[in-house]
Amino acid sequence: MAVKTRARGPSALARGEERTALWLLLPSFLIIAVVALYPLGRVVMSSFTNERFAAGVELRGGQFIGFENYRQLLSLTLRSVPQRLDAEGQPMFADGEPVYEHPRLFLRGLDTPRAYDAVSVFDLFGNRYVLGASSARFIRAVWDTLVFTVSSVALETVLGMIIALTLTAKFIGRGVMRAAMLVPWAIITVVSARIWEWMLQPTRAGFFNAFLTEIGVIDRSIAFFQTAALQVPAMVMIDVWKTTPFMALLLLAGLSTIPTELYEAAEVDGANPVRRFFSITLPLLTPTLAVALIFRTLDALRVFDLFQVVYGEARYSMASYAYYQLIAARNVGMSSAASVIIFIVIFTFAILYIRALGVERDD
Amino acid sequence: MRKLFFGLILAVALVWGAAAAQTVTVAAGAVGQELELVQAAAQRYMEANPGVTVNVLDTPDLADDRLGLYLQFFEAESSEIDVYQIDVIWPGDLAVHFVDLYDYGAGEVVDQHFDAIVENNTVDGRLIAIPWFTDAGLLYYRTDLLEQYGFAGPPETWTELTEMAQTIQDGERAAGNTDFWGFVWQGNAYEGLTCDALEWIASNEGGRIIEPDGVITVNNPNAIEVIELAASWVGTISPTGVTGFAEEDARLMFQAGNAAFMRNWPYAYSLGQEPGTAISGLFDVSPLPAGDVPGGRPAATLGGWQLGVSAYSNNPELAADVALFLASYEEQKIRAVEGSLNPTIQPLYEDPEVLEAAPFFGALFDVFINAVARPSTITAPNYAQVSSAFYTAVHDVLTGAEDAETAMALLELDLQAMTGFPTGTP
Repeated sequence: MAVKTRARGPSALARGEERTALWLLLPSFLIIAVVALYPLGRVVMSSFTNERFAAGVELRGGQFIGFENYRQLLSLTLRSVPQRLDAEGQPMFADGEPVYEHPRLFLRGLDTPRAYDAVSVFDLFGNRYVLGASSARFIRAVWDTLVFTVSSVALETVLGMIIALTLTAKFIGRGVMRAAMLVPWAIITVVSARIWEWMLQPTRAGFFNAFLTEIGVIDRSIAFFQTAALQVPAMVMIDVWKTTPFMALLLLAGLSTIPTELYEAAEVDGANPVRRFFSITLPLLTPTLAVALIFRTLDALRVFDLFQVVYGEARYSMASYAYYQLIAARNVGMSSAASVIIFIVIFTFAILYIRALGVERDD
Repeated sequence: MRKLFFGLILAVALVWGAAAAQTVTVAAGAVGQELELVQAAAQRYMEANPGVTVNVLDTPDLADDRLGLYLQFFEAESSEIDVYQIDVIWPGDLAVHFVDLYDYGAGEVVDQHFDAIVENNTVDGRLIAIPWFTDAGLLYYRTDLLEQYGFAGPPETWTELTEMAQTIQDGERAAGNTDFWGFVWQGNAYEGLTCDALEWIASNEGGRIIEPDGVITVNNPNAIEVIELAASWVGTISPTGVTGFAEEDARLMFQAGNAAFMRNWPYAYSLGQEPGTAISGLFDVSPLPAGDVPGGRPAATLGGWQLGVSAYSNNPELAADVALFLASYEEQKIRAVEGSLNPTIQPLYEDPEVLEAAPFFGALFDVFINAVARPSTITAPNYAQVSSAFYTAVHDVLTGAEDAETAMALLELDLQAMTGFPTGTP
């Protein structure tokens, strides 16, 4: 808008006002520079060093080592796992199935400058392949975080939409319901993680195991947090419980901006509720939905507290891996590099969203 | 008028500054009744030294989390905390952040304490922390159940423990307690698992992961065998969730009367004996079982905590005085009697009041004296990573993600890369 005004030749008064505006904005710029740009720059800088955390005054700073930290975090290799050979050098079979070398030992036996550990193993066209990484736990953390983000945000959106549509209808006690809905969101994540940890205890001291045994669904307690296959789903469940209200609240705000006349007109035209939802509600709700999705996705990608409280070092999210590198391994460089990678991942998601959902429309 | 005004401000500032300088903050643990004990001790110090305020900051239960918190204070060179409670494995790593207590009168009292711990806390001739209490892994067992199922005494080998636990568990479950388990211990992926697994391995003639002379020995048949045995407990005599257990999880289960055996530190003794618990008077402690190999003998991991004075403290003199007070004969006696926390001062093991409160201090004196140290000194400053690699490998075996043979072979390679040490046999 400012550009258009200038093109027409702004008056002295307008230029004066512009200058004032710049001066007024200066404090904000300074604050952003201090609280956002400086730390970000500092992290990027230290990601190129081998700095140690709390190493004492003499060893401050560390040395510049270029992209070594990034290479260590991101080096991947895809290899075909060879079949195990018997004493005569013939490939071994068991029950007609080929017997392969142990993928992790095979990777470590390779003559590569970096030691690789297995991230995943899969069979394809009669061959067995292993995906190795020099920081297998980081790659797994990235994958886990992505799975966590996609599934929790998807569930939260659907459930949030259902709750929002319900609460937008007029009924007795709607105010109370709206307030009650927000309770999970109001609880501090560390506290809710602990609550769920107790409820999901691996013995009947935990609510779920007690309940499920009582109604006869299971005859043995399930170790929710200790079973690898249930670890990420358990996180998703807690996160959905906690953040669906937030989603619902944002969508509720969006719903209240849709004029009721549209629905009345549609009803007169004979559109059924499903049609009304897809033709009126959803299109008009898209900008709100986009904002809500961006918020939640970026939030979920940097999930830390849930994983840290419940799993510690048993399973990492991207952020808790960065924390582990900083605190336990005291490796500032690696931790910074991991943080920069998290930043890039989140940034990519943000751009994709903005493109895909057309938030940046000029209208 | 103006002069008077500035004079007043100056006076206020001085008084305020002096008052602030008379505050000492102690970062202490809160496992079991630790926090109550140190708060009471702080109160006693304040009564004896009017004008001094001793604050107690409670810190996370898991040692790894606590270290994380401390490191953040050290990185910021914060004077917020004056006295730190530090683990027996940290002195080598954290030495630069502590003052030399010999400069603050520790020389007079240091001879009272166990030599091995003083040596552990001495880095380059500097005493960086005063021993506070020592720890060693113990086997807790239910005397009533052992008698009921016809066992003469606690198990002497891990195999015996496995069989006894299974028998008692089957019997108790048949009798109606479906929540009963044979054996609970620390199986989460954290420092506590390093302690438990080191005990298994050392008791089975499998070495000490990395020997004090810098040889990696963890990949040997004895170690593999005993880790496989431990993995077989998960889901049979120990709950599947034991791979998420820390000290307090095990204690709460044992204390509720839902386990026959428990591996834990001495602190759980006085809590279990408190009147009103389900097991008060029904349990005892013994050395941990030995491995079933020739020469196998019980091993207990050396634990314990020390008090160090921050190099960034505003008043190291007063802080050192508080630290030495907390670690003194009288205070350690109170902690031994009320909290069954093992003293680091030998005569206390013969004190009648201490022995009455914790009879096993006398009987198990040898266990505490001969406890096996984790390889923290030889691997400093990389111990945290070494330990993390070790417990992650063991945890993988416990959860069934990897077999013991492969896990130990990979661990050996990792340790070599981390430390550069040669490999060998224990």
